[in-house]
Amino acid sequence: MRAVFVKTLADLRRRRLQAAVIFITVLLAVGTGMMALTLLTQSRDPYQAAFAAQKGAHLQVYYDGATSREALASTPALIGASSFGGPYPSTTIEFQHGSRKFSLDTFGRDNPGGDVEVLRITNGHWPTSNDEITLTRSFAELNNISIGDRLKVVSVAQRPVLTVVAEVVDIDEGSADLSTQHAWMLSSAVPSLTAPTPRSAFYKMDYRFAMDPSTSQLAGYIDRLRAGLPPGSIVVSLNYLLIRNIFNITNQILTSVLVAFSVFALGATAAIVANLVTGIVVSSYREIGIMKAIGFAPREVVAVFVLQIVTPALAACLVGIPAGAIASQPLLANSSHALGLTYEPSFSVGVGLLALGCALVLVGLAATLPALRAGLLKPVVVLTSAMAPRGASGSWLRGLANLVRLPQPIVLGVGDAFARPLRSALTLIAILLGVATVTVAIGLPRSFQKINDSETSSGNMQVIVTRSEGFPDSEVTRILAAQPETSRVVALTGTSVDVPGIGDAVNARVFRGDSSHLGYLLVAGRWFSTPGEVLAPKALLRDAHLKVGDAIAATANGRPLQLRVVGEVFDVSNLGHELFMDWSTYVQVSPESSPVVYYVTLNPGANIAAYMRRVAAVEPDFLDVQPNNTGLIAPVKIIDSVLLIVAVVLALIAVGGVFNTLLLNTRERVRDTATLKAVGMSPRQVLVMVASSAGLLALIGGLVATPLGVMLNRVLLDAVSYSAGNDTPAAAYSTFSALELLVVLVLGVAVAIVAALIPGRWAARTNVVDVLHAE
Amino acid sequence: MSELVRLSDVTKVYQGGVTGALSGVSLAIEQGEFTAIMGPSGSGKSTLLNLIAGLDRPSSGSVVVGGTDLGRLGEAGLARFRRDRVGFVFQFFHLLPNLTALENVLIPAQLKSRASAEAGGRRLLSQLGIDDVADRYPAKLSGGQQQRVAIARALINQPDLLLADEPTGALDTKSGEHVMTLLAQLHEQGQTIVLVTHDAKLATRYAARVISIIDGSVVDDARLETAERRPADVIRVRGEETAR
Repeated sequence: MRAVFVKTLADLRRRRLQAAVIFITVLLAVGTGMMALTLLTQSRDPYQAAFAAQKGAHLQVYYDGATSREALASTPALIGASSFGGPYPSTTIEFQHGSRKFSLDTFGRDNPGGDVEVLRITNGHWPTSNDEITLTRSFAELNNISIGDRLKVVSVAQRPVLTVVAEVVDIDEGSADLSTQHAWMLSSAVPSLTAPTPRSAFYKMDYRFAMDPSTSQLAGYIDRLRAGLPPGSIVVSLNYLLIRNIFNITNQILTSVLVAFSVFALGATAAIVANLVTGIVVSSYREIGIMKAIGFAPREVVAVFVLQIVTPALAACLVGIPAGAIASQPLLANSSHALGLTYEPSFSVGVGLLALGCALVLVGLAATLPALRAGLLKPVVVLTSAMAPRGASGSWLRGLANLVRLPQPIVLGVGDAFARPLRSALTLIAILLGVATVTVAIGLPRSFQKINDSETSSGNMQVIVTRSEGFPDSEVTRILAAQPETSRVVALTGTSVDVPGIGDAVNARVFRGDSSHLGYLLVAGRWFSTPGEVLAPKALLRDAHLKVGDAIAATANGRPLQLRVVGEVFDVSNLGHELFMDWSTYVQVSPESSPVVYYVTLNPGANIAAYMRRVAAVEPDFLDVQPNNTGLIAPVKIIDSVLLIVAVVLALIAVGGVFNTLLLNTRERVRDTATLKAVGMSPRQVLVMVASSAGLLALIGGLVATPLGVMLNRVLLDAVSYSAGNDTPAAAYSTFSALELLVVLVLGVAVAIVAALIPGRWAARTNVVDVLHAE
Repeated sequence: MSELVRLSDVTKVYQGGVTGALSGVSLAIEQGEFTAIMGPSGSGKSTLLNLIAGLDRPSSGSVVVGGTDLGRLGEAGLARFRRDRVGFVFQFFHLLPNLTALENVLIPAQLKSRASAEAGGRRLLSQLGIDDVADRYPAKLSGGQQQRVAIARALINQPDLLLADEPTGALDTKSGEHVMTLLAQLHEQGQTIVLVTHDAKLATRYAARVISIIDGSVVDDARLETAERRPADVIRVRGEETAR
């Protein structure tokens, strides 16, 4: 065995560059894989851990303020809850902080503990007087509100000022960039902050059950509550499954993307390893013969070839596994932070060993299969040949290139690209995976951007005006209409609709005005045009067993409401549990309602800032005027960044694959190159020949990979849409123009040609005399 | 006849001066000559040929071929020189294994110009008696056939100078004689040929001039068609030198 090690070490010294290629590709692949594994294992349902620690509510139910305390007290027994919190008196308050106005569901609660929904204070102390308020840390961070800041309440006539005294983490609501937020005050403070308008006072009850209930069980509980309480008592309900999904969706998408591309990276690495070992074997026939002649057993010959691959791979693992674990920590920290968990850097030795084992087995197998050929070769045969004979592969390509009268160096180069078909195929795999990943990394963020633009009505409205409850809708409409820059106003409110088959009341967006221009993406059907017509995302249609064209016997505001689904809309709010309807539909059940939010489209070229200043100045206490924020939400930005990283990793691995192949080709053909130089090929022509070889491989790989990448982009987008409760709208797919795909292709070829420069220069500098006389 | 090759005080030192391959060699070769360079293994004869072919550069001295001082040419210039002015025949043929015989022959022409040289290539193969193997790959050819393909390749650009380094060294006697007959015929048609060989009989039978090199120095330069030198003298000279 000592001889095997001695020979392996000697070969490693001789093939330093190839060892470096293996080291880098394995390092990148293992690093990405370790990142994926760490996220997969360490972030496995982080919500569940926080949910248990903070005694999260399985079910939160909002009751009308007129519901009696006795009736509320009977509800836990009605549904068999093992523990409960509340009833908490609540109302929605609007407050001003700096120039901005916010709206929060505020609950009267005298301490943060209890049997359900424990609020974890991360900063400050619980309120001790009626002018103190507690916010979620997520809301405070998003809006730059700090402990000690003073908030002016504008939803009641007294305009009281509240001081922020605490930031908490609440496991029973989503993060501020995805969900509406809660605030807490002493119970005694709530009545004076409740506006004297109908339906402004609520009670909230939190329920917890001995076992985690299923969707159907939760629906059953709501049905029982409805049956046991006076009609209209339940305003809205929210269950832990929806919140858990909202929390986990980013991690799920990230983990899926990383796992998928880690498999790609490992596949490309295996192809490169197999290619390299095949190349070494075919160019070492004589050496293999000598090894056998002096007594190396076949398995020892195989061991020499495998060990010289596994050794740099092992070194790469020793660096890549800790590096991957470290790289995954910011993502874990982000996940912990969102859930209010204390982040502690984590590294699982087991996962590390698993990654090490998988990587070494994969690399070992990829090396062993071609190395077996070396073990099986007959000494007498191989001693007489310097290398494995090459066939006529590639001659048809040369013929084709000759037909179109390409310069001879290019003709020779394109022929060389496929002179060893297996090598070419393995190289193409690496290129294919690299280009496909780059295509996805370009396409997916654009698809996200398109979806984001549709969700935020980017380009279709520029200003969002929110009125206080005490300020009449007619006045807002008059003010906006009076502005010469106003082109169109779509007013909006939200309500809850009970849909048969759906446990929780469904949030509905009610539009007044021509909402079809807001730019929401349609998956199927059309926008509503007559009263009773609604649109919904896939998740609601699926869960309620509905399709476009179906009728819904819904209930809203305690009254029956006949609806018909005329379209499927893309909307990620509440993971696809939304309804879109026109004001004419809503007034059937709530004639006294009026909208609170106004989407304003300005005339082209209007000065948005000046417009906002002017409108806000009309009623500074009652109107909140903000520009339409079309920025991407944080989770999407993280996914985009991770995509970019994996694209760079895969692209580097693909470049490594091309480089590796060219290295093998130029070394194997050093005698041919010397001969060509002897008969008059100039160094520049040699360079062109090698580059042509690389360019053709990249071109063919790119031609296959680009449509594959577009397809993969589609599959991933569908998976992401599905996670968010939607089907992908056709418009989100079309993120590539033919010209861009061509540019990707050309860039791929250009990168491959650049990668060819190093082996190309070596070939160009071949010393003819040295090489030909070494025969 | 005009002078085609001139070497002036050429020295070639390998490995940082440890090994001297050529030492102060000066000689001239006329256009149309068939010159054989003879010497034992390691004497420097192949180095001399490589310097004339522009495959290698002298450590000192100058090599001028057809009025071109090779020392003034860069790598690209040398490549053009080899392609346009010189044809080189190697002992081990050095055909590209993944190209057919005809494709091998055409390579220098295609490197020179995009104009089709196929007709010329086929004509050459025909003249050399191997037109029937034009589409075969080198692995399917005998040694003699491979060397004739190599000669055709060397001639495709109608070089001023044909250089042959032990062209029969890897061939059996019959094939070797066939190759030498071909070279003689080319010479009769006016081709300048420089042949490196260690076979004195071969050299004196076909070449008109025999230059003997020992330890990097020219020890004899015999023009066989002149009265003062006879083939037997050359053989004797070489025999004496070898016996030293």
